[in-house]
Parts: sequence; C-alpha cells; structure tokens
Amino acid sequence: MNAKSADRSYKRSWKNLLINKRYQLRFTLFMVGLSAVLMVGLGIWVMWVANETTAVSMTSVRGDACPRLPSLHPPAGDPEDRVPAPSMHLEEAPEGAAPRAAPRAAPRTPPTTPPAAPATDEPRHVNVQIDESSMTLTTTLPPDLADRIAAHWTCELRQVATFDRLERGRRRILWAMIATGLALVLGLALYGIKMTHRVAGPLFKVSLYLSKMREGRFDKVYNLRKGDQLVEFYDHFKLAHGGIVTMQQDDIARVAAVIAAADAAGMGPHPAIAELRELMARKEKSIE
Amino acid sequence: MSDPTAATGLPTPAARVKHQRKLSNYLLDKSLQLRYILLVTILSAVISAALGYMIYDQRRTASESIERDLQALTQADSSRQEFEQHVASVLESDDQALIYKMVAVGFGLVVILSAYLVIMTHKVAGPLFKVSSYFEHMADGRLGPVTPLRRGDMLQDFFGDFKSMHESLRARASADVVVMERALAALRTAEGDAAARGKPDQSLDEALAALDHHVANRKKQLA
Repeated sequence: MNAKSADRSYKRSWKNLLINKRYQLRFTLFMVGLSAVLMVGLGIWVMWVANETTAVSMTSVRGDACPRLPSLHPPAGDPEDRVPAPSMHLEEAPEGAAPRAAPRAAPRTPPTTPPAAPATDEPRHVNVQIDESSMTLTTTLPPDLADRIAAHWTCELRQVATFDRLERGRRRILWAMIATGLALVLGLALYGIKMTHRVAGPLFKVSLYLSKMREGRFDKVYNLRKGDQLVEFYDHFKLAHGGIVTMQQDDIARVAAVIAAADAAGMGPHPAIAELRELMARKEKSIE
Repeated sequence: MSDPTAATGLPTPAARVKHQRKLSNYLLDKSLQLRYILLVTILSAVISAALGYMIYDQRRTASESIERDLQALTQADSSRQEFEQHVASVLESDDQALIYKMVAVGFGLVVILSAYLVIMTHKVAGPLFKVSSYFEHMADGRLGPVTPLRRGDMLQDFFGDFKSMHESLRARASADVVVMERALAALRTAEGDAAARGKPDQSLDEALAALDHHVANRKKQLA
C-alpha cells in the first residue's frame, strides 16, 4: 500500500483495482482456482460419461442392420440376395454354324468365368454364340432391385448421419464446457478483484490517514465511497481519529491555561513557558 | 464488535494472554465473511449441480439406449424378458446410486468449503477486529502498547502501518508528558520562589494543579 498519494476525491478506476495485491489475489485466486478445479474435474467426468453414452448410442445404431445390398455375384450361402444373372437367351443357331463357332468359343470362356462361382440353376456365364444376323439379350433382374439398393444406401447414410450427430453432440458438450469454464474463470477473476477492492479500498484509505497520523498530522477524515465495505471498521477509525484530536485539544487547553496564568504572574519569559508555547504551537498545527 | 479483548490479544491491565482462535468467535465480521463464503459456496454448488445433472443425464441416456435395445432383442423371446427386466433394474439402481453419490459429494464439498472459508475469512476479520478494538481505546484517549497479530493472520502490512502509527502517537504523547512534567516542575519551583518573595499567584497555582492532574491522567492512558 502506498500511503503517499492521498486524495479524498478518489474514484474507482480499472487501473488501481489491485491496491492490496496479497489480500485481493489470495481471495480471488482461491475462488477462481476452486471453480477451475471443479469445472475441470467434473468436466472430465462429464466427458467420460458422454463418450460412453456416444459409444452406446453408436453401438445401438449399428445394431439396427440395414437391408443388404443385393449382389450380382452373391456368395454361396445367400440365395435371398442373389440376383439372377442376366439370362441371355440366344436364338438357336442355324445348323452348320455351331461346329464352326464352337471350337473358337470354347477356349475363350474359361477366363471370363469367376473361379469361385457356384453352380446354380442358371449359368454364371453366358455362352454367346455369334449369329451372323442378330442376338437378343433378355434381362431377368428382380423388379424391386432399385428400391432395395436405394433402401440400403438410405439406411447406410442415415446411420452415418446419426454417428455424425452423436459425435457433434459429444463435441458440443466438450466445447460448451470449455467455453463456460473460460467465461467463468475470467468473470470470477474480474468480479473477485472488484469485490475485494471494496474491502482493500477502505483499508488503503485508512492506511493513508495512519501515515499522516504517524507524522503528527490529524487532518479531517472524509467518508468512504459508495459501495465500499468495512463501514463499521471505518467508523471506529473515525472515532479513534476524533479521540486523538480531542487529546490534542485537551493538551492545548491545559497548556494555554498555564501560559496565560504564567503571563499574568509575570513569568512569561520563563524557559519552561517558552517550551510550553512551542508544544502548544506544534499541537495547534497538527489539528489544523 | 463489543468486547474487543475477548477474542483478540488486546492487552488488559491484568494480564496479556496470548489468545487462541476459538470456534465461537470465528464469525467476527458477519457481513464481510458471510458475503464471501456465500458467494464461493453458492458458486461451487451451482457448478457442481449443473455438471452433476449433465453427468446424470448422459448416464441415463446411455442406460435408456441399452434398455431399448435389450427390449427389442428380447421382444420375440419371452424367456429372456426376465433378464431384460433385471438388467433394466440394475441400470436404474446404478443411476439412482449415482445421484445419491453426487448429492453426498456436493453436500460434503459445500460443508468443507464453508468451514474452510470461515477460517480463511477469519484471518482477515481477526486483524480488522483487533485494530477496531484499538481504535475504540484510542477514541477514549488510551494509547497502551500494541501486541502483534497471531500467526497466520492476514493484513500484516496494514497492521504494520497501524502499529507504526500507534507507536508514533504513543512516543509523541510520552514526550509531551515529559515536556509538561518538566515545565510543571520548573514552574512550581518558580511559583515557590515567588511565594517566598510574598507574591503568590492563585490562578497560576490552579492552572498548574489542573496541568498536574492532566499529566497524571495522560500517564494512566499511556500505561
């Protein structure tokens, strides 16, 4: 506390909010630290539970299986999903043409056939016999194939969207807590300093008066600012100050009476009276 | 602040006892202490309650999701419904237990925090109380010696300023008493000489008697 710059019209200002650093920072940091510890501790707990909840929800979503995508090359055990291969019905070749075409077509077919393709009612590959004139392909795709594909991908996309939503929710909780924590810490720091300033302010003011009193000056004591705390304490100080001023006035009155009587008795020039005059002058100056 | 010597180390004529902190006078300045205590306690309670609710809400959401899935799984199989109900009741009781745990921890936090804050603020209110009691003595013109603060008290700087001022006042008042006593003795001698010469002065005699009484009083105040 600097007791040199006394000013009775002292206004609150951001610059001098921290006038008693030790006291103000101790109380403010305790408040801020406690809130930060609570926010971090409970926040970690919240995030832990939120992660668990997100994982459970994602597992739940995964549990609702989407309709499978119909495959054109289904594995052996899934006859339901099997899409019949396009049935290519060839018009019967004219006699005499087959013996010519067969030797050429036969060696070509094996490489086009998938090695794992199971034997089914319908052939896995189509033997194409080139007719010199025309070829007709007749598809036998199920009529709801497009709907089943659309349903599958709609479901897949819905699941992905749900995962995204869950992940966004989890992140929103995290960011909301970080933002709230930071705002709380900053707000509390400012409020704490301002609140403790209302105690430190009156102490600072009393310190200024104490400094003057130590030097033997008993100036008039002014009131506290509006909103300051320690009003009762300050009232006690004012009474003490008044008591000391009264002491000085009593001394002056007694000494003045002696000086007046000594003057009347013709003992004015006595060295003891000179000393008393000096004492009285000093005391009168101290309460001006 | 009616009985200053009861809770502080203020000197009394009988004995200067080193006072210990007592539970009964920890709340010396209620408005100052309770304001800070309530602020911090309520703030902590609000943070704990809000985050505690979030924890419970997340847990409950997870439990409900598990319960829903289990219900869907066991819907077709009546033999497993009992298992589903058992799991649901376990999850619900776990969630209830979480509430009780959080309430207990929150309550404990508030109690411990309040107790700690009472002690912490007492370390500020104590010195203020002690200085206030000295102020009351000063208002009566009493300038007895000042004893130091207890260990752990805050506002040591402020108390240092006060003590320095008090000692300065005391030293100055003592010096004034010495000056007045010396003047009194010299003037008594001079008055005696004048009386011996047959010129006694009644008013000077009365003024000196009054000063003598005043000095004696002041000495008592400085004791």
